[in-house]
Amino acid sequence: MTRLDLEQGAAMSVPLARQLELLTERVIAPSKRRVRLRDLLRDTAVIRVLAARDFKVKYKQSLLGPIWLVFQPLALLGAFFVAFRNLANVASGGVPYAVFALVGLSVWSFFLAAMTIGSASVITNSNFVRFTPCPRPAFPIAAIIASLPSFAVTAAGAIVAAAVSDRLSIHVLLLPVGLFWLLLLTAGIVGITSSLAVRFRDVISAMPFLLQVGVFLAPVGYTLAGLGGTMRTLVEANPLTGLIEAWRWMMISGYQASVGPVIVSILETIVLVVVGWLIFSGIETTMADEI
Amino acid sequence: MRGHGDGMLGLAIHAEGLSKHYRLGELHSLSGTMTRILRPRAAAAAAGLEALVEVDLTVRRGEALGVAGTNGSGKSTLLKILAGTTLPTSGTMRVRGRVLPLLAVGQNFHPELTGRENVTLFASSLGIPRDAIFAGMDEVTEFAELERHMDTPVKRFSDGMSSRLSAAIAMQFPADIYVFDEVLAVVDREFQVRCIEAIKRLNRRGSTIIFVSHNSQQVAEVCKRVVWLDSGRVRDDGAPGDVLDAYAHAHGRADEQ
Repeated sequence: MTRLDLEQGAAMSVPLARQLELLTERVIAPSKRRVRLRDLLRDTAVIRVLAARDFKVKYKQSLLGPIWLVFQPLALLGAFFVAFRNLANVASGGVPYAVFALVGLSVWSFFLAAMTIGSASVITNSNFVRFTPCPRPAFPIAAIIASLPSFAVTAAGAIVAAAVSDRLSIHVLLLPVGLFWLLLLTAGIVGITSSLAVRFRDVISAMPFLLQVGVFLAPVGYTLAGLGGTMRTLVEANPLTGLIEAWRWMMISGYQASVGPVIVSILETIVLVVVGWLIFSGIETTMADEI
Repeated sequence: MRGHGDGMLGLAIHAEGLSKHYRLGELHSLSGTMTRILRPRAAAAAAGLEALVEVDLTVRRGEALGVAGTNGSGKSTLLKILAGTTLPTSGTMRVRGRVLPLLAVGQNFHPELTGRENVTLFASSLGIPRDAIFAGMDEVTEFAELERHMDTPVKRFSDGMSSRLSAAIAMQFPADIYVFDEVLAVVDREFQVRCIEAIKRLNRRGSTIIFVSHNSQQVAEVCKRVVWLDSGRVRDDGAPGDVLDAYAHAHGRADEQ
């Protein structure tokens, strides 16, 4: 069977491709799973365009526009100061509370935004799912990428705050690794929620509640040291806990991260990425019929 | 199996035993699930719809094929399988070359984005490379006659303007197989004529055309062959005059405008 290179065929003008018989043959047949990981690397163009759209539409017909990128985390930080520092008098392990909280907030607010847009991403793109051959993994991936600018602002704020209070760690050089880990974990969970939401809209209804509970089950505004018993077990089982601990260790010099949750989180990330891919690619074949 | 090797070279599309089964009713609701558990017989009776039944279809490269049929005859399902949005329940379809499907007009635009931004978005979702989109932007704009509106959010467009823009996108980028499903329904007569000219031009340049319209005149003008689908089966296949006449006769000319 003649199977020739798709990219070449596509790049050439139609008549030339025809002369040279460079047309790819595609076989459409019943399948339990058709998207492949290597296809994702080929589809970066559409992911870029979708991500740009997801980012742009947030600030269309908005007076302040991207100023919200700075204002939102600042407002949250203020709320954390009042709630955790002044009311509950939470300890931050000898680190200035603003630095401590900003690192947690940057990871958390990225996760919150990516989960909210990402979980609904396939449903909100239902017209693309039903009428275009656009690769479906592009929707959640684009939603996650579109949440990165706000993350960059808070993470930069955390680095500046750490530097100003003379607590910036040399481990900050490992930031790309930390970012990769954060993206993987988010992608794994969003892969599960965005595809399940196609079948069960309950996922979307449950999301705000789960995320509201989630912020208390992760050491975003408090330290693990102050916890005990069941609560501590719950928080340590949260995949975000180890990730936040690792981020604090990367950014704040002298920060004593607990190793246990970090290992738990790494293992959970691997499981969630694999499971997320299997669930998403499994549901993907019938998305146009079920959405 | 037929259709392998050199036999496929002159072909654009080769479908064998293509079937598509849809489940009816609410798929994943509590009440739907309860019905299936408590009243399995009633659920089974209402269980499915055969949108396509063992369809065999061969389209040669450069052909212009019309698909006729009433609502629910399986036309759109066939086109969706060809476009790659849904998979068949059984059978295979071999497709050679790059498919550019326009299955719905004006549906894929984001209301908050401008006309230009939406062209990039929709064309990318159809798999058109970035540089080709930028290179073709002016032609799309000109064809849709929306030069003054391309930087306006699409939410301020009329239905006709959105339809013109999606039709222009589907017709101004290169592909081997173009799929048009009822794309000229909302636009005015003058633009319909220009679209038909554009589609015929694409066909003359060697691209394969699959064209669905309830307007038999348009089908006859664009296509040199028509397949008539009836309840998911191929009922007739031949020259537009013959097939469309038989179709109009069977349906009391009700579909002809």
